[in-house]
Parts: sequence; C-alpha cells; structure tokens
Amino acid sequence: MQPSRRNPCALILFAAVAAFFIVAPAVAHAVLLESNPALKSAVSGPDVPIKLRFNVRIDALRSRLTLIRPDGSAQPLEISKQTPADTLSAEATGLTTGAYRLRWQVLASDGHITRGEIPFTVSPS
Amino acid sequence: MARLLQVFGFLSVLFRGATLTFQSLAIGGIVFLILVVRRVNENSAALQQACLRWIRRAAIALAAMQISYVLANSIILRQSADMSLGEVAGANFVLAGAIGVVSAFTVIALTAARRSTGYTDLLLPAAAIVTSSVMTSHSMARLEYRAPLVAFTALHQAATAVWLGGLPYLLIAIRRAPAADFARQLSARFSQLALVSVAVLASAGLLLSFAYVGSFKAVYGTSYGAMVATKVLLFGLLLFLGALNFQLVRRGPASSILASLKRFGEAEIGIGITVILTAASLTSLPPAADLTDDRVTGQEIFARMSPRSPRFASPSVQELPEDIYAAQKKAFESGSLSTESYVPGQSGTRPNTPAEQAWSEYNHHWAGIVVLAMGLLALVAQVGQVSWARHWPLAFLGLSAFLFLRSDPETWPLGPVGFWATLADPEVLLHRFFALLVIALAVFEWRVQTGRVAPGRARLVFPVLVAVSGALLLTHSHSLGNLKEEVLAELSHIPLAILAVTLGWSRWLELRLPAENQTRNAMARLWPLCLVLIGVVLLNYREM
Repeated sequence: MQPSRRNPCALILFAAVAAFFIVAPAVAHAVLLESNPALKSAVSGPDVPIKLRFNVRIDALRSRLTLIRPDGSAQPLEISKQTPADTLSAEATGLTTGAYRLRWQVLASDGHITRGEIPFTVSPS
Repeated sequence: MARLLQVFGFLSVLFRGATLTFQSLAIGGIVFLILVVRRVNENSAALQQACLRWIRRAAIALAAMQISYVLANSIILRQSADMSLGEVAGANFVLAGAIGVVSAFTVIALTAARRSTGYTDLLLPAAAIVTSSVMTSHSMARLEYRAPLVAFTALHQAATAVWLGGLPYLLIAIRRAPAADFARQLSARFSQLALVSVAVLASAGLLLSFAYVGSFKAVYGTSYGAMVATKVLLFGLLLFLGALNFQLVRRGPASSILASLKRFGEAEIGIGITVILTAASLTSLPPAADLTDDRVTGQEIFARMSPRSPRFASPSVQELPEDIYAAQKKAFESGSLSTESYVPGQSGTRPNTPAEQAWSEYNHHWAGIVVLAMGLLALVAQVGQVSWARHWPLAFLGLSAFLFLRSDPETWPLGPVGFWATLADPEVLLHRFFALLVIALAVFEWRVQTGRVAPGRARLVFPVLVAVSGALLLTHSHSLGNLKEEVLAELSHIPLAILAVTLGWSRWLELRLPAENQTRNAMARLWPLCLVLIGVVLLNYREM
C-alpha cells in the first residue's frame, strides 16, 4: 500500500499495519534448553557424561563448567572441543553416591554472560 | 566486584540503551546532514556546523558507553570465569566494542576537520558503528538463518537511527532556519526520508518477528512478546504524532506551523528514546521463540485481569518473611528457587508468599485510589473550571509517604534492615528514588496548577518526570525463564508504563503547542484521562 500525500489517514493506516509487525533488535542471553544430567534427576555413577544444550551459539573457550561435590568442594571440568556450536560437553568421572551440583557459566557469541546450576544426585550403579 | 556483580544486569540494559541512543543520534545526524541539509538550495553553512557539533557530541558519548560496556563485561568475565586478560581480549564483544570505539573516534576526527566538500566519507564509520552493534545483537548468536537475520538487524537498526536519530537535527534545523520557507523545505525533505526509514524498519522488523517471536500466542504468553508489543504500541504513538505533523504542514495555520512542528518534534524525540530504551530492555530476555514451555495462556491472563474488588486489609509486617535474604537462601536450599538460567548477580527468583502477595496488592490498590482521585479532580479542574480541584497534586505527598513506608517492609522504618544498608540494594534504591520523584511531582505540579509558577520550563517538570517514570518502568530487568508469575506481573505493569508515557507527552504538548493549534485542546483532555486509567489499572492489580 502506498501512503497518499493528500490523505493522512492512509499514512496512519500504513503506519499501524507496519507497526503491528515491527520487532525489536534483541540481544541474546543464552538459556539452557536441555541437559544431561537433567535438573534434579538421579543418574548412575561413577562416570557421568555431561551435555548442556543452549538456545544460541556459545563461545566454548570462554565458558566454564564446575562440579560441586557432596562435601562442597569444587572441581572444574574440562570442556570438550568437539561439540556443536550450541552445546557444551564434558565428562565427570569417579563420582560417588550423593548430591551434586553442576555450575555452568557461558559466554554467548553476542557477548552476553549467563550462568546457572543443575542439582542432581548420583545413585549406585 | 560484588557490587558490580549485583547491578550487572541493570547496568547492561542501561549501557545498551545508551549505546543504541547515541548510535542513533550519530548516524541520524550524519544522514540528515548529507541527505537533508546539503540538498536544500540555501546557504546552510551555519546549520552544517551545528549538525557537525551535535554529531561529534553523540560520537563522544557513544565511545564512552562502548568503553564502559566492554570494561564492565570484561571485568565480570575475568573475575567470574578466572580468565586471563589475553583470553578476554579475544572475545567477540571486545572486538565489536573496539570497532565501535574506533568508528566513533573516526566520526569525531572527521567532524572536527574543516572542509569545503561533502560529508559522504562519514557514511563509512556510520556503517561500521551499525556493524559493531549488530555483532552484539541476537542475530550473531542464532543457529539458523544467521546471515539473513544479521542483514535484517542491520537494516532495522540503521533505519531506526535515520528516523529517530534524525529528529533532533530537524529541531535544530528549524530553530536555526534563516527563513520559514527554508524550514519548510527541510521538514518536507526529512518527511520523505522518515517515510522510507519507517518502511524499511517495519519490513525488517516483520521478518525478524517471524524468527524471534514466532507465533501470536507468544506475543501475550511471554515477557519477550509482551515487550515487543509494547514497542509496537509506542511506535504507533510516534507514527500518530508524525501523521499530525504531516497534516499540519499541509493544512495547518501558516502563522504557527513552525512552532507546532518543533513541539511535536520534542514529543517524538522523547517517545523515540523510550522506544529505544524498550528495545534495550529486551536485552535481558531470550526470544519468545526459544521458550515454548510454561507460557501464560489467554485463560490465565483473563483469570488474573478480570475485575475484582480491591483489597483494603493488609497483612501485618510479622506475617512477612523476616529477612528476604534468609528466605531466598531457604528457598534455594529447598529447591523451590528457579536456578536454570540467570545473569551474573541474580540468584534466581523466589516465589512470593501469600502474605507478600497480599501486601503488594494492598499497596497497589491504595495507590490506585489516590491516583484515580487525582485523575478525576484534574479532569474536573480542566473541564469544569472548578478552582479547588486544582489542588489535586497535593495528593502525591500522601502517596510518597505511603510508598516510602510500604514498598520495602523488610527495611527501615518497618523492618530490621537499617536505612543506609538498604541503599546498597538497587531495587530498594529505585523505590526510594520513586518516592522522592513523587514529592517533586507534588511540589512542581501544585505550583503550576495553582498559578504560582510563571510560564517557563518549571511547568515541564511534571510531564518530564512522569514520562521518565514510564520509561524506567519499561527498563527494569526481567527473568530469563518463562516464569508465569513474572510474565503476569509484567502484563499489568506494561499498561501503566504506556499510560505514563502518553500522559507525560500529552501534558507536554498541551503546555508547549501554540494556542491556535486545535490538538492542544485534545491533549488537555487526554492527560487527565490517562491519570484516571492509571488509577483503574492499579486498582485491579493482582498477584494471585
């Protein structure tokens, strides 16, 4: 539709239709879409594969995974380099039974930092 | 470091809002200079110099904002992930920031140099500024359709800058125009540019909306969708003012055209900055299309928003959690706290207890009664010329005392947390700031309404403060998840913000438009009506 120079109503209508569809240029924050172990799940030990999938591309080099053990001690996990752009993978080995928390912090490709925590328990295999 | 971490989310939104604003002003000025000022057939050397000065100022502010954002983000990343400076320096946001800063300094250098030829070389750093901004936009991190999304985002941002960023330069040009005809030529040329920009930004926005919002249900079911809808409404308000301008240039009384154009332009700039701040507020939200679980449904909104009688009984302070921090910790340990995704500094969201919900509803409802009464009195004073009704702003004083006492019951004077200790909490600080703002509103507007202030800038305090409050309400940070309670609370706050922005700028126009302009009378009725509607929305506020 071409807005008429003589009729401001046409301009308003054009603008209203255009306005309905406009959307903001958003800046992303990474949000966790799925994880292994899942939130508050029980997994069998002693070795637990870790995989976190996000809604956006992640800068894996500048992201961190830390395992909080049942005694409260923190163990940094090495992030695998061979993963898709939206995924962080690692391997937690030698886990005894108990309640753990997986802390993650990611830098999205657009420069935004997000963090979170996944509580899970390890049960005897 | 701890303090920086605490306010990091809010700071990010502010830096982003300021960056988008100054980027728009720099780019809008450059395009205005090249496509509007240089194309009219008049000697415009003085105007060109004025435009160059303002472009330079915008570029300096842009460089400062970019440096601040990169520094804050780098410090947080370095400390929170135990990273070396070298590792941080390789991050994408540092590269984007560096491009932005170098481009801004190039603009500063080019606008400072004396020259007799054109200014087209300024378009290169302007394009680099857009590139830097797009590099930290959502499109860069998308997994699918990355290249087209990057292109549409660039078009969207550039067109916004040309239109909204060009508006202040139009005002400068009208003020400095040597003759009325020259100002008319500038306005007509800018109108054409604005129409093209609106078409480009709307088309790019439509395509981006398919990717980021995805469905109509997401518009009202997610925070992201609701904020996009807010931006669209404010955009509609801007276009309405633009249409009034357009009509004015074609049919308005010749004696007051330029004065009216200036006043409409001022309101458009104010609403334009609010739109940009709303866009920045979206920085704290993931796109609606990524959050398909736990969306708010139409039935849930209807159940929450359907009218009920206000709450006039408050729970006692003893019924509230004694210490919100202890309550937060307890909720975290019991697993009832949302811990899936948050920005550094946040610690998840604890659901409010029923007593806290009742406390909040009681606060909103009493505030609603006071605002509704003020709105009705203002309407009576305007329409019926009833002189005693003109004292309505004094009710703001009661509202301020009420807000101070009840907005943060865990703090002084009702709760155990001392007055000075609470100032470290950004949320409490914001509430205290609002209480002071309300006192300022009472004093200034009462003096204006009762004729104690001579015509001048003091009369504009009330409209400016109300419009700024509305904008601030839109820039608070949000939850990253689809927490239903937060989305529902947001859906009730958004109308308040839109009404406040409309109130502020309609009152501004009533005060500033020349007497011959008929729109002035409509604005004089519109703002008291907005006050009445704010009261009604507050009276129906619900948290359960």
